[in-house]
Amino acid sequence: MRDIALEEIKEYAAEDADVTLQLKHAFDPLLDKQEVRNVFQDIENPLVPVLVDIEYEGVGVDVEFLRDYSVALERDIRIAEENVFNHAGVKFNLGSPMQLGKILFEHMKIDPGAKKTKTGQYATGEDILAKLRNKHQVVEDILVYRELSKLKSTYVDALPTLINPRTGRLHTSFNQAVAVTGRLSSNNPNLQNIPIKTDRGREIRKAFIPREGCVLLSADYSQIELRIVAAISGDENMIAAFKENKDIHTATAAKVYGVAETDVTVDMRRAAKAVNFGIIYGQSAFGLAENLGISRSEAKTIIDNYFTQYPSVKGYMDTSINFAKKHGYVQTLLGRKRWLRDIYSANQTVRGYAERNAINMPVQGTAADMIKMAMINVHKALKTNGLRTKMILQVHDELVFDVPEDEVDTAREIIRDGMQSAMALPHYVPINAETGTGNNWLEAH
Amino acid sequence: MHWCAAPRITSKGRNTNAQFGFTNTLIDLINKEKPTHLAVVFDTSAPTERHTDFTAYKANRQDAPEDIISAIPDIKNIIRAFNLPCMEKDGFEADDLIGTLAIEAAELGYTVYMVTPDKDFGQIVRENIYMYKPPFMGNKEEILGPAEVCAKWSIKRVDQVIDILGLMGDAVDNIPGIPGIGEKTAAKLLAEYDNIENMLEHADEIKGSVGEKVRNNRELAIMSKKLATIITNVPVAFHAEDFRVKERNIEVLTELFTELEFKALGKRVLGDSYNVFDNKQQAPANGPVDLFGNPIHQKATTSPMVTAALAEDKVEEEEPLPLNVNNIDNTPHSYHLTTGNAIDELIVLLQQQTEIAFDTETTGTDANLADIVGMSFSWEKGTGYYIPLPADKDGVLEILNRFKPLFDKEEILWVGQNIKYDMLMLKWYGFALKGKVYDTMLANYVIEPEGKRSMDVLSVKYLSYQPVSIETLIGKKR
Repeated sequence: MRDIALEEIKEYAAEDADVTLQLKHAFDPLLDKQEVRNVFQDIENPLVPVLVDIEYEGVGVDVEFLRDYSVALERDIRIAEENVFNHAGVKFNLGSPMQLGKILFEHMKIDPGAKKTKTGQYATGEDILAKLRNKHQVVEDILVYRELSKLKSTYVDALPTLINPRTGRLHTSFNQAVAVTGRLSSNNPNLQNIPIKTDRGREIRKAFIPREGCVLLSADYSQIELRIVAAISGDENMIAAFKENKDIHTATAAKVYGVAETDVTVDMRRAAKAVNFGIIYGQSAFGLAENLGISRSEAKTIIDNYFTQYPSVKGYMDTSINFAKKHGYVQTLLGRKRWLRDIYSANQTVRGYAERNAINMPVQGTAADMIKMAMINVHKALKTNGLRTKMILQVHDELVFDVPEDEVDTAREIIRDGMQSAMALPHYVPINAETGTGNNWLEAH
Repeated sequence: MHWCAAPRITSKGRNTNAQFGFTNTLIDLINKEKPTHLAVVFDTSAPTERHTDFTAYKANRQDAPEDIISAIPDIKNIIRAFNLPCMEKDGFEADDLIGTLAIEAAELGYTVYMVTPDKDFGQIVRENIYMYKPPFMGNKEEILGPAEVCAKWSIKRVDQVIDILGLMGDAVDNIPGIPGIGEKTAAKLLAEYDNIENMLEHADEIKGSVGEKVRNNRELAIMSKKLATIITNVPVAFHAEDFRVKERNIEVLTELFTELEFKALGKRVLGDSYNVFDNKQQAPANGPVDLFGNPIHQKATTSPMVTAALAEDKVEEEEPLPLNVNNIDNTPHSYHLTTGNAIDELIVLLQQQTEIAFDTETTGTDANLADIVGMSFSWEKGTGYYIPLPADKDGVLEILNRFKPLFDKEEILWVGQNIKYDMLMLKWYGFALKGKVYDTMLANYVIEPEGKRSMDVLSVKYLSYQPVSIETLIGKKR
């Protein structure tokens, strides 16, 4: 940039400002016409300076821990690889899907009904292998190999390379204009994708550490999307469960299986949890059956019972789809809109996708709006109260802060208040923000 | 005609694939072959003799897709707006009308081309009547006269087309034919016996399994021949003036194309008189739209047959429209390079504004690592000021300090595209914008959460203006 003749840059640069100004005038009337000005003015614009501060602050990274973890992972990866070679009776390139396919399905004949992909190779994707777990131990070893390799390359080895030489810290970028639901997304690294389901994955969070003399504070909205479902649908049973501070999955299980809450088993709760989350995404009986490893008719029974117990939830789903059909969009509580033109498609697959989004967007989008409002409020409150505490990360329904040890109690209160009062939900459905502190993100969460 | 499976959807949710494909084919034909007369022929929903004779007739065909059926009224409107006739008759298939009209026109001295890829039209082909198979999937168009038809089937005369189809059957049209008899055997039989009737008379002489098949399926062979025969005395007339290719009804076509949201195609058909960016279309469609205002297809199915059609579509709608998109060279503007004392004068002017567009130029895309190279300001359309900043940090700070009172003014609304980036740049130098911000990228995001929203893309879409690209700038150096 510095090498270019000033006259040329001038045209390019001044034009940028000129064009930007004109874009403002082009967009202004549209903001009103589509009734989204309040989302723009009250949520998006005020969030900008908050994100500036977050990106500027960055987060501490425990490079030594990552180095050690990398070595440990490498060791486990080699072991998994050896196991695979032993089962197969031959060495090959585990990273090559083609070779893997041949070994698994031709050499070891794990699955006679093995499918091939369009390119003529055997399909060896994770979903395929996950189903074959119990056929042979080798599958488990392959999955472990893959998981650990991905963990190592995408996170453990990558994070240190992202450290900013000026600050010695990691400065994640937040994208405010990418996710269609209204959620923030991030990259370098993509925080959303940090694994949370497996123990090895969760270890990554240990790498994120506070500044000297500080602790990390994690604040998380518990079941915010389900609370929003309860509030938007007005379902009395669901609302009551939240008001009574019950474990929503246990409460749901009790209702779906017709037992007392004290008699709910681990499996029942797991199934209820799956339905609770599946519903928001418009999951079908088939999807639920796959997810839980049960039969389709069982899944259907569960879903039917679910809607019998939470009738207004079904009502909400139908209302949403009808609204989308009538208006061509759906919206969050605060009026953020998503256009769903495919709702008119004669193609069932395309239309189904739009219908699921009609159900999901108002919920996810309202959650996104709430978190953004919380960020704006908390950021302001921290400043007003003269605290040195800094917001450093946002991911899923969670906010993470770098808190000087002497501010922990004050900060915790301010943060929890800011989050719980960010947006009131219909029917006074209570909003819960849980907090935790620790010497790294894993501890704090 | 083949149909595309990828949804082509208007801003109101209408699928317009069929209308698009048809119009494309029609205009291609007219432009390429320049017919003096042209008619388009349709089936009707009423059953024909073939259906009453043979209930399985065309039973294996899927019902025409909903989208296509609902497109027919539009297609007919388009044809009429071309001032061409739509021909149809209850009780008869389109093939029969084509056969009848072709023969009638040929007798009047016209050279006739039947535009169709269907096999059975071979029987109508004769002197002055040809089959015209349209270009498809990279193959050129094919014109078949009597010689070509005969060569194709290995028969002697075109009237044997119905015999050969009667024998071998046609899966597409559900003409059964004799089970087990294919093209080669059928051709041999006809070479020997000339036609089905004669063959059946000598059925006992035919040796082997073929003979058995023939003997066991007499009725079927006769019925199949009848099914394959195109009726040529449909009560429909060739009308020279009606069929003449004449002036199109520009007004009606404009209206139709506007409604169907055919931009580039509309231009192709109507020429420059079709105003793509007219008033009605100024307000952008309420959906994801590409550079040229065409709705973006969100889910494209892929199948080999569709790819060619899609490729055609793409060529159409992604053609640049240079006439309607402006750039810096044809737009009056007043951009200033501001240095030294002029900077202070500029600051005085800026202090009087309530709304200022702001942008930074830097050495990289990571605001936490880059150095600032310059800043731009604009508060009036068509004007802009660029302040270059020196390479040394002290020099930068000296200049930025002069802007501090401006940056501190809370009443100013700072307009920027992804202004977070610029604010982060300033923060690294110790400066902050105290006023409120208006981010154009975010404005677009809440208006339309899907799609690309770089400044260049937004500028073309909403301002019909293509900004100077960074490549031409940096590229020039190389």
